Amino acid sequence: MHRRGAGLGAIKNKTLAQAKYRDKGSEIAEDKFSQMTQQMEMFKTNLEDFARKHKDDIKKDPEFRLQFQDMCASIGVDPLASSKGFWAEMLGVGDFYYELAIQIVEVCIATSPKNGGLINIEELRDKVECARGRNSQSISIDDLLRAIKKLKILGSGFTVINMGSTSLVQSIPGEMSMDHTKILQQAQKNGFISLTDLTQNFKWEPERAARALEFMVKQGLAWVDDQDSSGRKYWFPSLCTNIGR
Amino acid sequence: MADFDWPWQYKFPPFFTIQPNLETRKKQIEAWCTLILDYQKYLKSYSLDVKEAQNSPLFYNKSISRRLHEDGIYTILGELQKKGHIEWKDKGRKECLIMWRTPEEWGKLIYNWADSKGLLNTVCTMYEISNGDDSADTDFHGIESWLLLRALKSLQLEGKCEVMAGNEGVKFF
Repeated sequence: MHRRGAGLGAIKNKTLAQAKYRDKGSEIAEDKFSQMTQQMEMFKTNLEDFARKHKDDIKKDPEFRLQFQDMCASIGVDPLASSKGFWAEMLGVGDFYYELAIQIVEVCIATSPKNGGLINIEELRDKVECARGRNSQSISIDDLLRAIKKLKILGSGFTVINMGSTSLVQSIPGEMSMDHTKILQQAQKNGFISLTDLTQNFKWEPERAARALEFMVKQGLAWVDDQDSSGRKYWFPSLCTNIGR
Repeated sequence: MADFDWPWQYKFPPFFTIQPNLETRKKQIEAWCTLILDYQKYLKSYSLDVKEAQNSPLFYNKSISRRLHEDGIYTILGELQKKGHIEWKDKGRKECLIMWRTPEEWGKLIYNWADSKGLLNTVCTMYEISNGDDSADTDFHGIESWLLLRALKSLQLEGKCEVMAGNEGVKFF
């Protein structure tokens, strides 16, 4: 019986074949690699072209900016990661958000005597836009949220509290508990709330409601009104954006 | 006369309840002080009767049916007294003089005016300053004589004028 492939020659053949496969493999890989590099090059040029072409749109139109952000996120690029990054150099978007963050801080500090460091995000946007002057680009809520996210690097000073249809931006340090957030949500409609509102709607014990409200008065977030016919009301200036406009 | 420009707090009901929280109260009292002085300035009024004022728009906002009660009014006026903006006319604290500018501030204003009108080194009458044609467009037009005299006395202390005997005239330097 002729046994094939067991001799010295066969081993030699086999190593030879393997070497050839390897060569071929790396050849293909190299091919692929150069192809990929080429594709990347192209991708980059296209993106650059795109960015250059739409630079003004990205800077001016908040809607467009959001879409651009989403697009970048889906391919794993964060144009805001660093102000020295490719995008930032290309578009100056990094600076845009830093600048915005500073303006947010300024507005929050300026309004904190009134609202105790809690501001409705729409009011914040109006004030920031006002501070930027009439001729600069308009700002979207999404822009604000992104800028605030950047501020988190500096510590826990800035928090966004979700209120359903809108949000509040908290610029004072200090955790708000679930109870406090719930109170804010409940008070959102009228701008004020009473202790009985809490005991009735949430079935809270009066002590629990009183403690939570007391905390918010202490923090300067709530003002008390003792001249309402149905007892003491707790008012939140941050929720009363319609007053004094 | 244009309508008075009420601050936002005026439509904010708790503004009329003195706040229990110290920090908040400080802001509230500060805002009340500014409001009272601004309002008096708007009315060009130089005195305030506490009883009367309780029902005036200043302390009573009918549209939200909130009023600052007597205790509150005295708290704010006490603060204004500390700052040198009011003085009680009587021991019973029923009526006070209100200086929405301190005498020193009035003095400076009057001196600058006299300077701009070329009245330095001449004698002016008190009436000329408070009611003359030359001062018609100034804030101190119509100023009450007690306050005018005080303003000029403060200038005199700085050596910028001399009030004549009898308090009828003044010479600016």
